[in-house]
Amino acid sequence: MTNAAMPRAGYSDLPRGAEAVHVLIMLVEDRPGAVDRVVGVLRRKRANTQSLSMGRGDAPDLVRITALVKDSNVSVDNLAEQVRKVVDVRQVTNLTVQQAVIRELVLVKVSTTADNVHEAIAAADQFGGTAVAITPDTVTFEISGSEEKITKCIDALQAYDIREVARSGCIATVR
Amino acid sequence: MAIAASAVQLPGITYQAYQNNNEIRELTGSEILCEALVREGVELLYGYPGGTIMPFYDALTSYPSLHHVLVRHEQAAAHAADGYARATGKVGVCVATSGPGATNLVTGLATAFMDSTPIVAITGQVARPAIGRDAFQETDMIGVTQPITKHNFQVRNTEELAAVVHEAFHIARSGRPGPVLIDVPKDVQMVKAQYRPSDYTTSEEFLQASQANAPRPADHLLSQATELIAQSQRPLIMAGHGVILSNAYSELRALAEKASIPVITTLLGLSAFPASHPLFIGMPGMHGPAHTNHAIDAADLIIGVGLRFDDRVTGDVSAFAPNARIIHIDIDPSEMHKVKVAAVPIVSDAKVALAALTEAVAPADKRAWLEEIRSWEAAANERGQSIQHDEALPDPVSILDAIYKATNGEAIIVSDVGQHQMWTARFYRWERLNSHISSGGLGTMGFSLPAAMGVKMGIPDAPVWAVAGDGCFQMNLQELATLQQEGVAVKVAIMNNGYLGMVRQWQQFFHSRNYSETPITSPDYTKLAPAYGLTGIRVTRRDEVEAAVKRAMETEGTVIIDFAIESEANVFPMIPSGKTVKQMIEEQPE
Repeated sequence: MTNAAMPRAGYSDLPRGAEAVHVLIMLVEDRPGAVDRVVGVLRRKRANTQSLSMGRGDAPDLVRITALVKDSNVSVDNLAEQVRKVVDVRQVTNLTVQQAVIRELVLVKVSTTADNVHEAIAAADQFGGTAVAITPDTVTFEISGSEEKITKCIDALQAYDIREVARSGCIATVR
Repeated sequence: MAIAASAVQLPGITYQAYQNNNEIRELTGSEILCEALVREGVELLYGYPGGTIMPFYDALTSYPSLHHVLVRHEQAAAHAADGYARATGKVGVCVATSGPGATNLVTGLATAFMDSTPIVAITGQVARPAIGRDAFQETDMIGVTQPITKHNFQVRNTEELAAVVHEAFHIARSGRPGPVLIDVPKDVQMVKAQYRPSDYTTSEEFLQASQANAPRPADHLLSQATELIAQSQRPLIMAGHGVILSNAYSELRALAEKASIPVITTLLGLSAFPASHPLFIGMPGMHGPAHTNHAIDAADLIIGVGLRFDDRVTGDVSAFAPNARIIHIDIDPSEMHKVKVAAVPIVSDAKVALAALTEAVAPADKRAWLEEIRSWEAAANERGQSIQHDEALPDPVSILDAIYKATNGEAIIVSDVGQHQMWTARFYRWERLNSHISSGGLGTMGFSLPAAMGVKMGIPDAPVWAVAGDGCFQMNLQELATLQQEGVAVKVAIMNNGYLGMVRQWQQFFHSRNYSETPITSPDYTKLAPAYGLTGIRVTRRDEVEAAVKRAMETEGTVIIDFAIESEANVFPMIPSGKTVKQMIEEQPE
C-alpha cells in the first residue's frame, strides 16, 4: 500500500521537508471499475499512502474512499486534482489531520488461558477495547479510536500473545 | 486477427440514418452504435475486424456515410485516428476486435493520452457470459487501458450503448482532450433494443450547452498576472499544444504583440505561432537552440500557456528559469504546480485566458530584451551548428527546405521520433498554423506514416509529408498497403543514416561510442514501394534533393524518398537529460 516518500530530484520544485499527513475523502460513483481508477491514480502518481479504506457513501450510489497521504501541501493538493479528473469521482475533500476526525477499527485476537482471560479483558478495557468473541483459548477484542489509542491498546495486549490483528484503515469526517 | 470473412453489401438493405430523430425503432446494438457514430458526425473510422467485433462490421455496410479504412495493424488505426484528430480538431475513431486487436491499440492510445488528442476507440469484447472466464481472445481492456485513457467504458447492456457513445465523445473532446475506449461485448452488439435518437444528447449539443460554464480566469488572478507582466523586464511566453487544441492562434499573437513579449513554442506548440514573426524565438529544451534556452535562463517572467513543463523542456527543474516567476495557464487544474510552482495559476481555456489577458495588459515596448536574445542568436550562428560535414550528401536542412519550397509552405509535416524529429522541429519553417504533427510526450517511433494517413484524409487539400528516420519508418511500413488501397497520397521523406540515430548519438556522447544494437539496415525502397504499387526514389547527393522532392509532389499517390544522409550526423545543441543550459553541448565532442 505505501510508497516510501522518495525525492523527485530534478523533476519538481515542489517544497520538500514539509511533509504532513493529509486526509483525502473521495466520493465516487458506484460503477464498475470506479474504485480501481481512484486507487490507480494514487499508485501512478506515487502517493505516499498511509491508510486506505472504502465503504458505502452517504447516498446509495456512492462509494466513500478515505486515504491518508503523507506529503507536502502542494503535492497533496495536486494529487487531489489528479483524482478529481477521474470521471467517476464526484467529490474530493482534502483535509489536514487537524481539520479531520479520524477513526480506525481494529480486531485483536489474543491467546488466553482460564487463568489470565480476565486480566486480558481488563487490560483492553483501559483503552476502551471490548471482548467481542471468546473461545476457550482466545479472546478477540474490538477497539476503535485514534491511531494513538489503538497503538497503545495493541501494545498493552502484547503480553498475551497476539494471534491476529485486523485493522479497517482510517475513516474520517470534517470536524 | 480477422477470421476469414467476406462482407458483401446486399442491395436494398442500406439503412438511412437520420430519417426521424423522434421515431422509436428496435435496432441491434451494432446498429445503435453506427447510428450514434453518424449522429456524432463521424465520417472516417480506422480499424480491423475480428471475431468479437463482427456484428459491428456486419451493420457497418448499411451505413455508407461511415467510411471504414482497413489498416494493416491496429496500432496504425489508433495513430491514424490521432493524426486525423490533431489535424482537424475533430474526434478520431478507431476500431479493433478483442484480445490482440485491442492490445495492439495500446501504444496509439498512450500516444494520444500523452499529447491530449481526442480519439474514441471501439473494441469488441467476448460475450458477457464469457467475461472473466479466460475466453478465446479475452483481454481485460478496461484494466489494460485505465492508465492511458481519459476514461473507458465496458458496455453492460444494449440499452446504455447510445448514451455511452455520446458520453465518450463528450469526454474525449471536452476540457483537456484525450482518448476514450468503449469495450462492447459481442452479445451486446447483437441484442436488440428500443432506440430513439432524440433521447440522447450528442457531444456537440452538450458542449454548446456547457460553453457558458467553461472555466474562465478569475478576476483577481488576471489582475495579478497583469501586474507581473507590467513589472517584468524580461518576459517570455511559452506556448504549448494547448494553444493549438483551443485554436487560440490569434489570441496568442495579440497578447505577444500588445505586450511586446517574445514567444517560445514547445515541440507540440510548433506552428501555433508563425516562425517568421519578429517575436518568435524558437523551441525550448533539450534540443532547442542555445539562444532560446539562454532566454529562459535570463527571463524574469514566464507565461506558460497550454503546456505542462515536460522534463525535455525543463531539464533540471530546480535550475530551469531560475529567475522567473510563472503565470501558468492550462485548462487542466492538475497541471498547476505539478512541476513548477506557479505564482499565478490560471485554470482556463487558452483562448479565453489569452483574450482576457490581452485586454487587461497595457501596451509595452520591450525591444531591448528582444534585441538581447537576438544577439545571443547571432553569436550562436557565428559559432555555427553544422549538423553534418560531408557537403555532397543530402542533409536534413536541404531536405526540409526543399519540402517547404515545393509545397509553398503549405505542407503539413508529420514527423516520427528521434534525430530527424528534432531537425524537423528546428529547421522547418513553421508558417502554416497547425502544420507540425508529432508524437511529443510518448515519443512513439512508427507514428508518422499512419498518422500522416489520418492527416491527409482529414485535410485532403493539403500536401502531407511524413518525415521519418530509417528506424521509425520500418516500424509501421505495412501501412503502405493501406495508403495504396485507399488511394491516399502521403509523401514520405526518410532521413536514412543507417543507425537508430538518436540512440547512437547518446551512445556517442555518453557511452564512449559503444554503438550497441544501433546500426540498422533498410530495404531498397525503390523496389519496396513498387511492390506496394507506389513510387520509391533514392537520393544520395545533395544537389538531387530539390528535384526529387519536386518529382514526389508531381507524382500521383504515395511516394517514398529515401535520403542517404551522413551516418553520424548529430542534433546540436543538446542539453543532456536532467542537466541545465550550463551543460549544453554545442559541438561535436571528440
